[in-house]
Amino acid sequence: MTALLEVEGLQVRYGPALAVDGVSLRLEAGERVALIGPNGAGKSSLLNAVCGLVKPAGGQVRIDGDDVTGAAPGAIVRRGVSQVPEGRQVFGTLPVESNLLLGAYGRLFRGELVSATLRYLRGRAETRARLERIYELLPKLRELRERPAGQTSGGEQQMVAIGRALMADPRLLAIDELSLGLAPVVVQDLAAFLRTLNEERGVALLLVEQNAQLAFELCSRAYVLEAGRCVLEGRSAELQRNELVRTAYLGGGLEVVPA
Amino acid sequence: MTNFLQLVVVGLSSGFAYALVGIGMVLIHRTTGIVNFAQGAFAVMGGLVTATLVDDVPTFLAGLLAVLLVAAVGGAMGFVALGRRGRTTLLASLIITLGLALLTSAVHLLVFTDVPRTYPRISATSWDVGGVTVDPQYVLIACVSLASALLLTFVLRRTIVGNALVACSDSRRAAELVGLSVRSLGVLSFAVSAALGALAGLLIIPLIPLTYDSDVSIAVNGFAAAAFGGLDSIRGALAGGLVLGIAENLVIGYIDPQYQLAIGLVIMLMIISWRSRHEVAT
Ligand SMILES: Nc1ncnc2c1ncn2[C@@H]1O[C@H](COP(=O)(O)OP(=O)(O)O)[C@@H](O)[C@H]1O
Ligand SMILES: [Mg+2]
Repeated sequence: MTALLEVEGLQVRYGPALAVDGVSLRLEAGERVALIGPNGAGKSSLLNAVCGLVKPAGGQVRIDGDDVTGAAPGAIVRRGVSQVPEGRQVFGTLPVESNLLLGAYGRLFRGELVSATLRYLRGRAETRARLERIYELLPKLRELRERPAGQTSGGEQQMVAIGRALMADPRLLAIDELSLGLAPVVVQDLAAFLRTLNEERGVALLLVEQNAQLAFELCSRAYVLEAGRCVLEGRSAELQRNELVRTAYLGGGLEVVPA
Repeated sequence: MTNFLQLVVVGLSSGFAYALVGIGMVLIHRTTGIVNFAQGAFAVMGGLVTATLVDDVPTFLAGLLAVLLVAAVGGAMGFVALGRRGRTTLLASLIITLGLALLTSAVHLLVFTDVPRTYPRISATSWDVGGVTVDPQYVLIACVSLASALLLTFVLRRTIVGNALVACSDSRRAAELVGLSVRSLGVLSFAVSAALGALAGLLIIPLIPLTYDSDVSIAVNGFAAAAFGGLDSIRGALAGGLVLGIAENLVIGYIDPQYQLAIGLVIMLMIISWRSRHEVAT
């Protein structure tokens, strides 16, 4: 059986430096998988290579068994994989609702502006309906819909970024640093929301986190990345008991485990 | 006093034209990060093409055709300048626009020769407002500039394509991630900016005849207008254009006409140094 997402021997290179050095991972439809590791381990680079923002230097990315290595970001979105980028990256001067609508508009691009716009205008009723569903899932966004996204709190911006990604109707949501810079209660709310989204709508999650505790609570499996390589993988319950993981990620120590 | 007011009124008319050029620069800069020095060439092309076409077709139609032609040229220029995704750096794009500006100017010389061109203004009679002469052409320039600024603002705020253009400037990374084609949006912003530049050129050419090499001073003044609002604000570019137009005319009237271009450069440098000091401080 083919997995929703398969990454095989992926390499990402910036100039001479290898940021990701031969990582493989696999994610089934509806699964919740975490990617943990220290700063600079290559987690964002991996996600960006999957989502088409950077071209991999080697290896393969497959969605539903089809090779999509090096495809443009829009093509990945249309295959059902959307990313919530690190630092949220909301469209700060635009109202929250425009942020969401652009998530639907962007999916219609195949490199060509006019036809994408025509498709968008023809499908406006469907887009409105999808917007309503997002507002039902995240009622806070309805309240904020006219506010410039840059003028909302960090947690609200994370909701905007998630809502924007959901407007493309993804089967897999890849979230880069969900908890970064957010208050613990806000993180708990978002985590609960993502769990519901996964259990009730079947949206698979690939969660990049530095907070390993949160990652293990939310995801059934995890990969541990260090210096561009995958050093450990397994079920969250097992990893939580692993000695290396405990000292490096759960004991509060910040130092990197020697690979 | 009347002399002063007269200079201000004349200054406003060129100010509105600079504003149009500046607004185009703002649009391109916001969506692509490129400072487009070919903006002056768009204005010259708009003016020269209209001045040539008016011999054969009604003025309004000539203007419309010129705007469409220049928009198409601008879009093509954007296509070349933006290069390939992830391959062409900002600096490369900037140098390409400079090169294309020079090329365009050479083509203008070949096609239109070096004779200054013009065509009749909208009305041969002008109004006398309390001793100040107001040419209907000034009013036309002001109305078209204001209407263009308002329309562009509306489009950017209220339409999905406009929102997408703004999205590129708010976060290019996120714009790409949701699937927007940042490149075709960049091409669009070049085409729209070129149309605005063409409007400026074809409206000003009845007052100030243009030649193939007028593009440099127009680009400098447009850039100075745009820099007034930090290259990112339509309203700023509008204000900048007007301030510049008036200042320039006062210098022409009271000091010496040969400093006309210098005033634009001086204001531009002052704004840039003031802003950089301000931004370091905050
Ligand atoms: N755009 C870039 N250009 C050059 N180096 C980069 C770039 N992005 C990331 N890197 C480098 O690649 C390595 C991995 O970074 P990243 O993928 O952001 O790690 P993580 O998300 O795990 O913190 C780091 O050493 C970082 O400095
Ligand atoms: Mg990261």
